[in-house]
Amino acid sequence: MGSVLCDWPSFDPHNFSQLRPTDPSNPSKMAFATYHPPHSRTLPPPDQVITTKAKNILLRKFYERAEEKLRPKRAASENLILEHGCKQPRASTSC
Amino acid sequence: MFRSSNVVARIFERQVRTPSPGTSVHCARQFYENLFPSCTLYDVECPDHSFRKFTDDGQYLISFSRNHQDLIVYRPKWLSYSCKEEDCDLPSKAKKFDSFFTQLYCVSLASSNEVICKDFFLYVESCQFGLFATSTAQFHDTPAIGGAIQGVPSIERITFHLLRLEDGMILDEKVFRNDFVNLAHNMGVFLYDDLLAIVSLRYQTIHILQIRESGNLVDIRAIGTFCREDDELFLNSSTQCMAIADKSKMHQSSWSHVENSVHNTQPSSDNSFLSGIKQRLLSFIFRGIWNEERHNSMRVQGLKKKFYFHFQDYVDLIIWKVQFLDRHHLLIKFGSVDGGVSRSADHHPSFFAVYNMDTTEIVAFYQNSAEELYLLFEQFCDHFYATSRNSLYMNFISSHSNNIHAFEQLQSIRNKASSFSQFVKKMLASLPFSCQSLSPSPYFDQSLFRFDEKLISAADRHRPSTDHPIKFISRRQPCTLKFKIKPGPEAGSIDCQKRKVSSFLFHPFLPLALSIQQTMFLQPSVNIHFRG
Repeated sequence: MGSVLCDWPSFDPHNFSQLRPTDPSNPSKMAFATYHPPHSRTLPPPDQVITTKAKNILLRKFYERAEEKLRPKRAASENLILEHGCKQPRASTSC
Repeated sequence: MFRSSNVVARIFERQVRTPSPGTSVHCARQFYENLFPSCTLYDVECPDHSFRKFTDDGQYLISFSRNHQDLIVYRPKWLSYSCKEEDCDLPSKAKKFDSFFTQLYCVSLASSNEVICKDFFLYVESCQFGLFATSTAQFHDTPAIGGAIQGVPSIERITFHLLRLEDGMILDEKVFRNDFVNLAHNMGVFLYDDLLAIVSLRYQTIHILQIRESGNLVDIRAIGTFCREDDELFLNSSTQCMAIADKSKMHQSSWSHVENSVHNTQPSSDNSFLSGIKQRLLSFIFRGIWNEERHNSMRVQGLKKKFYFHFQDYVDLIIWKVQFLDRHHLLIKFGSVDGGVSRSADHHPSFFAVYNMDTTEIVAFYQNSAEELYLLFEQFCDHFYATSRNSLYMNFISSHSNNIHAFEQLQSIRNKASSFSQFVKKMLASLPFSCQSLSPSPYFDQSLFRFDEKLISAADRHRPSTDHPIKFISRRQPCTLKFKIKPGPEAGSIDCQKRKVSSFLFHPFLPLALSIQQTMFLQPSVNIHFRG
C-alpha cells in the first residue's frame, strides 16, 4: 500500500504489507519488483525437521569404522551369521 | 575480537557490536585480559587444611583436615574495602584468609580407622552435590577369593559419600567391601551428568549408578561378569537344567539331593565361563579378523596368527580405567594386572574398547599404538572429555582440537618424538581422561595467555616448584606480560636444596587463585593471588 518495503524481495509476499509511508500525502512513487522463483526446487520439504543427531561425531566415527571392519568381504552366504539371522545350535556338551 | 585493549573501550564496543555467531563466550572471555590476579598475599596465615579445589561453579572451596578425617567447606567471597587516598595498599586486616573465604561447615566423614582420600572429589553441579571417598588401609598380597583378580590389592572398606554442599548434609553412601577402586585423582570413578561409573579393579566390574536429585545413589547396572541385567538369571537357569539332566543320567533318587547339587553348581568365576565383557571383547576381535579375509582358508590362517596365538593374552586382560563417552557408551582401557595397579602404566601395553551399555556390544577395539585412534583423538579430543550438558563453560577448556596454540604444542611434541609410534602411545596414555581434572579458569585459555605448561596448567596435579614466578603472557600483540603467579615466600625459600612441589587452585571465573607450595616436613605455604 504505497510502502517502500512492501514490494521488496521477500519469502512471504505479506511481509511489510502493514507498513505505511511516513507521509501519507506523498507516497513513494518507487515500486520495487518482488522476485518469486518460478520453481519450487529450492524450497525445503514441508515436513523437514532439523535435529541434532543423538550420537556425537566421535561415536559416529567409531561406528563407521566398526561397520567397515565388520562388513564381510563376500556374499551373505559366507557370513558367520546365516541369512535368516539365527545362530546355529551348538552341539550338545554331553556328547 | 575487540579493536582496543583498553577495558573501557571494550565495554563501549560491547554495547554496539554483536559478537560473531557462536563466539559470545569467547568475546566475554577477552575481558580476562584486562582483569587478572595482579596482587599476591604471600604466606597467608590460614587454617592447617589440605585445600583440594574450587567447585566448577565457583560456589565452594573444598578442603580436608590434616588428619584426613573431616571435610571443611568454604564460601569464596570478595574483598570490600574502600580507601580515601588515591594510592593506598590493602589494609593489614584485609590480608587474611578470612577476607577471601568464609567457613560454611565442618563435617566428619571418616571414622577412626578410615581416612578421606584427599585426591578424590567429584561435583554434581546441577544439584550442588559433592562426592567424596573414605577408605581403610590397603592390603597387598591378599588371596584372590570370590572372583577377585590375583595381584590387585584389597581395601576392607571403601565408602563413597554424597553430600549436599549447601549445608554439608550427608545424603547417601555407597560401600565397597574387600575391594579396590583407584581413588587417586578420580581415576577409578567417572561422572557424566547424573551417571556415575565406579571401576572395581579387584572384581573387574564397572558399577553404573545414578545420582538422583533426591540425593540417592541408585544402582543401575554392573558390567563385568554379566552384561545384561538378566544374564545371571539365564545362566543360573541354564545351569540348573544342565545339572538336573546330569543328575538324572546318574540316576539320583532324591529330589532334595538334586536341589543341593543345583545349589552347589551356581555359576561363579571358578567356572570355565569367561566374564560377559570378556566374551563380548573376544567375539568382536574374532569377527574383525574373520572379516579381513575373503576365503575361509585365509580366514583360518588369520585367526591362528592374530587371535588364537594371542588368545591367552586377551583373556588375561583386565579393566584398568573407564570413562563415559555419552550416556550409553563407555571407553574402557584394558591392560595387564601389573599396569592396572602401578602408578605409572605408560610402558605397559594397553588396549581401548568402546562399549555400548544398552546393546552390550563392543563397538571398537584398538591397541594403544593405533594410529587410527590417535587421529580421532587429535581431531575430536573435546568429545573424549565428555563434559556434562549442564556445564557450558567446561566446553571451553583449551585442547588441541579447539585451540591452534595447543595444537601447535602437540605438533611440536610430535616432531621431537623419536618415532611416531612412541608418540602415539604417549598421547593415548592419557586416555581415558580422568573426570573433572581440568580447571575451567579462563586464565588457562591458550587463546588469551601463554604460560609454561611444565610449571602450571589447567590439570590439577602437583608440579615441581621453582622460586621464579610463573609468567602469564598475553597472546595478543604486543604479547606483554600480564601477571605472575609466584608460589612460596616472596623472597624465595631459604633452603633451595629441599624438593618442593606446588599446586594451584584457580577460581573458575573470578580473578582469584591459591598457590600452595609444599616442602617435605614443613608446613605448606599458601599464597592468595587476586585482583587488587
